[in-house]
Amino acid sequence: MTAMKKIEENLRKEAKRLLEGGEVSVVLAYGRGYDENHPMPFAARTVEDVDSLVFNEYCTFNLARYLPKYPPKTKIAVAVKAADSRAVVQLIQEEKVRREDLVILGIPVTGMKDQKTGEVIDNKTTCNMANPVLYDILLGDEIHGFKGGSPYDVLAELEGMDHDARMAFWKKEFEKCIRCFACRKACPMCYCDPCFMDASRPRWADKSPTPDGHLMYHLTRFYHLAGRCIDCGECSRACPVDIPLYLFHKKLAKECEDMFQQAAGMKIEDKPAMVNYGNQDSDEMLK
Amino acid sequence: MDFEPKILGIACNWCTYTGADLAGTTRLKYPQNVRTVRVMCSSRINPSFIIRAFQLGADGVLVGGCHPGDCHYGTGNLYARRKLAVTKKILEFAGMEPKRFRVEWISASEGKKYAEVVEEFTNDVKALGPQTKFKIRKD
Ligand code: SF4
Ligand code: SF4
Repeated sequence: MTAMKKIEENLRKEAKRLLEGGEVSVVLAYGRGYDENHPMPFAARTVEDVDSLVFNEYCTFNLARYLPKYPPKTKIAVAVKAADSRAVVQLIQEEKVRREDLVILGIPVTGMKDQKTGEVIDNKTTCNMANPVLYDILLGDEIHGFKGGSPYDVLAELEGMDHDARMAFWKKEFEKCIRCFACRKACPMCYCDPCFMDASRPRWADKSPTPDGHLMYHLTRFYHLAGRCIDCGECSRACPVDIPLYLFHKKLAKECEDMFQQAAGMKIEDKPAMVNYGNQDSDEMLK
Repeated sequence: MDFEPKILGIACNWCTYTGADLAGTTRLKYPQNVRTVRVMCSSRINPSFIIRAFQLGADGVLVGGCHPGDCHYGTGNLYARRKLAVTKKILEFAGMEPKRFRVEWISASEGKKYAEVVEEFTNDVKALGPQTKFKIRKD
């Protein structure tokens, strides 16, 4: 039996047990889409639903995305891969979910595949970790000795450009944006209601894809995710016009790690970096 | 004709704004390019203000707050420092020239420092020429 099949089997087994015993009222995992290669997020609420649960290398969605949507105190089981578990940790830090309401079903996995391209997802677009950082039940065997490479290697080219070239790069990318908000919708950390883009007073930027609005929308969204983005890469995979949003998010994650000595979503005890300050902070960071 | 940059200054009420006042009342000479907006604390500055200023044609943005440790509210500028540091990284990675954005801690008694910073920053921005990268409207 392949590792993926084993995870699927364990997922169904645990989901059934948790729902039957009334330990949780919903299991957030993956269900069948229109074919094998296009599974979808799926919320199992009854024991019958459990048969619809699947897991394979195309189950990329970050299900932490749905946690803040449930009323407080709802008991939820959630299936998480490594990056997804970091999103859960970050949400707990931000008090959007409570640890005691969650049963975290950890999935140790590498070599997930992009639904659009079929390519293996690696450190180019994600943090590329193998094991969840937080879980209650592990659905597969812990992975040892996986070397995924630095998540920041991919930045070298852009960092090497001069300012004008970088501006030209982003202008060209942002111009493609159709403002569908799929990036915002896919992101586990984009839970604000209303989002600054939905506000009309002040109206920060155009909701329709005007050139004026591109910079404001994207730069502000990048700012709002600084120190919080856990590098799952879902925003970029959701983008219908393939804007490499991950490059900017990774850059800020890297800078925040350097400046604040803290990576997003690694430890429950951490305080989110952007609503905190440290004794070691210095004016160097403003240089 | 010489290029006179348009600079947005954002100064905190307790330190930098008062420092600017002092520069004025002691009749120090410094360039007139900074238009200052007063905020109650440097941590009140939403980074989008800065992006917006550049979009509306600012050639530079200068932020002033109390020295770390001297914040009227205790810790406001410690949060502000992190926020503005990230803002700086964003502007830079987007392709804005880093010298167009500067943060300085200027206390109420540092009228002289205020004048010096304004002079230096104005010259830096002048040397860069008009800002066109973020600008969306013609004036
Ligand atoms: S910004 Fe993108 S990579 Fe970061 S947490 Fe959100 S969806 Fe994941
Ligand atoms: S998903 Fe892509 S096209 Fe849609 S709003 Fe985000 S960046 Fe723009």
